[in-house]
Amino acid sequence: MSESVTFLSRAEALIGTREAEAVENGVRSFLALRERVVDEFPIMGAMRSRARAIRLHSLSHLDRLLSHFADQLEAAGGRVHWADDAAEARQIAADILERTGSKRVVKSKSMVSEEIELNHHLEGLGVDVVETDLGEFIAQLAGDTPSHIIAPVMHMTRQDIGRLFAAELGVPYTEDPFELNRIAREHLRAVFLEADAGVSGVNMAVAESGSLILVTNEGNGRLITTAPRVHIALMGMERIVSRWEDAAVVLETLARSATGQRLSVYTNVITGPRREDDPDGPEELHVIVVDNGRSRVLAGETAEILACIRCGACLNACPVFRTAGGHAYGSVYSGPMGAIVTPGLHGMEPWWDLPYASTLCGACEEVCPVGIQIPRMLLELRRQAASEGRLPGWLEKGMSRYAKTSVEPAKWARAKRWASRLGALVSSRGWIRRLPGPGRGWTESRDLPKPARETFNDWWSANRGS
Amino acid sequence: MDRDVFLTRVGRASMTTRLPDPPPVSSALPELPETDLLALFRARAQSVNAVVHGPVTRHGAPRAVVAIATGHDAGSFMAWDELPASGVASALLAAGLDRVDHLVPEEGRAEHNLTYLNVDVGVTGAQAALAESGTLVLVHGEGKPRMASLIPEVHIALLDLSLLDRTLAHWAHKDPELVARTTNLVFVTGPSRTGDIEQQLNLGVHGPRHVHIVMIR
Repeated sequence: MSESVTFLSRAEALIGTREAEAVENGVRSFLALRERVVDEFPIMGAMRSRARAIRLHSLSHLDRLLSHFADQLEAAGGRVHWADDAAEARQIAADILERTGSKRVVKSKSMVSEEIELNHHLEGLGVDVVETDLGEFIAQLAGDTPSHIIAPVMHMTRQDIGRLFAAELGVPYTEDPFELNRIAREHLRAVFLEADAGVSGVNMAVAESGSLILVTNEGNGRLITTAPRVHIALMGMERIVSRWEDAAVVLETLARSATGQRLSVYTNVITGPRREDDPDGPEELHVIVVDNGRSRVLAGETAEILACIRCGACLNACPVFRTAGGHAYGSVYSGPMGAIVTPGLHGMEPWWDLPYASTLCGACEEVCPVGIQIPRMLLELRRQAASEGRLPGWLEKGMSRYAKTSVEPAKWARAKRWASRLGALVSSRGWIRRLPGPGRGWTESRDLPKPARETFNDWWSANRGS
Repeated sequence: MDRDVFLTRVGRASMTTRLPDPPPVSSALPELPETDLLALFRARAQSVNAVVHGPVTRHGAPRAVVAIATGHDAGSFMAWDELPASGVASALLAAGLDRVDHLVPEEGRAEHNLTYLNVDVGVTGAQAALAESGTLVLVHGEGKPRMASLIPEVHIALLDLSLLDRTLAHWAHKDPELVARTTNLVFVTGPSRTGDIEQQLNLGVHGPRHVHIVMIR
C-alpha cells in the first residue's frame, strides 16, 4: 500500500456508491434480527459474561491449552502443525496436498486462509481451489475480495451476480436469487463429491477433547469435511477454549450476535479423522495452528482483541463501517475489530490510520458477545500512532497546543473568546456550513450552530449571584 | 515450526500480557424460566423452516416417513442402520424406493461419492433436540453416516420426544465427555440456508432444502 492510500481515500471512493448503499441495507437487516433473538433470550446477559470469562481465561492459558489440544487431537488420529507466519502456513498446506496427491481442493469460508492468501499460493502450484460458501464462490468468480466477514458479497446486487454467472458459468442471465442459488448448487455438487481435499477454518477448538468446531449455514462446511479423503483446518492460535461445555456457552452467543439466528444451521463438531467403525468422514485430518503476529499481539496492549469470536456484530453496529463498507479498511479484517486486528498482526505501517476510522461511540463494545473493550484499544493504538510521530503536522501541533491551553483556565477562557469571534466570522444565518483548511472535510456532511457571542464563563462572571 | 518453540513463544507472550480481569460468574449455568418444551421446540423448529410431524406412535413412524418421502416424489433414499423406530427402511423399499449404500470404500472414494448425486431422501435418528433453537442433535458413528442429513434434498429425522432438552449449553453440560467419544456430531437447525444474495433467504444451498422432523411418543 502506498503512502497516499489511506482509510480516508478508500472510504471517500466508496461513500455514496451503490456498494456502500448495499452494505447499509444488509447491515440493517442483520441488526434487526440480532435484536429480536437477543431480546427473547432471558439469559443472554449471563451467557455473555460467561463467554467473556471463558475467552479471557483461554487467552491467559493459551500455551497450555494449545499443547493439550495437540496431544488430544493426535491421540484421536489427527496431526497438528505449527506455523510461525503466513508463508510457513501456506507451505505446510501445500506439502500436505502434494504428499496426498490432492489436486482438487474445496474450501469453506476461513478468515485465516484469506489472511495468509492461501488460494493465490495454491493456484500458483497448479492446485484447483474452489470456494464453496455461496458468497465466497461469487467473490472468487468475480475476482473480488469479500466485503463483510459474514456476508462476503453484501456489496453486490442480484443483477451483478446474474451477469457474473452468465459470463463465467455459461448459463442464461437471471437475477432471481432462487434461480441463482440453484445454479450454484448444481454447479458445486459434483465438485464437492469428487474433491481430493477440503480446507476449512476453525471457529473454535476444544483443548480437553481435541475437537474442532465449524459453524456454517449452507452445509458446505460439512460437505468439505466429509466427502474428500483429506481435511486440512487452518486455525488462528487464539481460537481455543478449554472444555466442550465452555465452547457450548460461546456458541449460544455466536449465531445470535452474527446473523440473528439462535444457532447457525450447522454446528459441526469434529474429533479426529474417520475411525474404524465410521461409515464416512476423511481419512486424514490436519490442523495448522497459525501465529502470524498473534503472539506479538498477546504480549501487548491489545491482547484482548484475541478474545474475538469473529461474529461481525461490531461491524454491523459501527456507523463508520455502515457508511463506508468493508472494502474501505483495505484488509481481510474490517470494522472496529479489524481496526485493531490488522495493525496488530501486520504492524502499524501502513495500517496506523485504521484506529482513526471510528467515532468512539462505543456501539461495538455494547453489542460484542464477549464484551471486548474495543474503544479502549482503538485509543491505545491512536496513542501509539501519535507517539511514533505518524500524525499529520497540523493535527500534531493543534493537539499539543490544545493540551497546553486546556489545562490553564485563563488561556482556555481567552481561546474560547477567540473561537466565538472566529465562529461568528465564518457563519451565516446562525450556522457554520463550511470551515476552511482541515475543518473542511468535517463540515462537508455536518453543520455547526454559530457559537454563542458570550462564553459561559463570561456569562457566569457577569451574572453570578444575581 | 517446532511445536516447543511455538508454544514457548506463546507462553512468554502470556507472561507480559495485560488482559482485563474476567467478570465473576457462578459455577452453575443460568436457568431459563420453565416452559412447555414440546410447544417451544415445535414453534422454534418451524420458525427456521423445518416441518414438524406428529407425535406419532413408534408403530406409526414408518408410514409417516413413507408419506413424506412419496410426497417429495422420492425415488431413492439412504438411512441410518439404527433408527428410533424399526421397519422404516423396509417400508421405504416396499414403497418402491431404492436404497443407496452409505459405506465409503477405501478405494474409489470419488466414484462412491458420485452415487450420492441421485439420493432424494436421507433418514436419520437424533440423539437429542434443543427446544430453544429448534435444533436436532445428530451423533454420527457406526451405521450412522454424516451424509444422510447432508447430501439429499430431503432430510427426515425421527425424534424420540423424551430426548427434548432446552439449549445447547444446558445439553452439553450434562455429558461433557460425549465429544471425545465420537468423531462427529452436528447440531442441525432447519434446512441449509443462505442470505448471501441481497440478504434474501434461500433454502437448500448445499445441504437439504427440506427438513422433516417426525416426533415419536
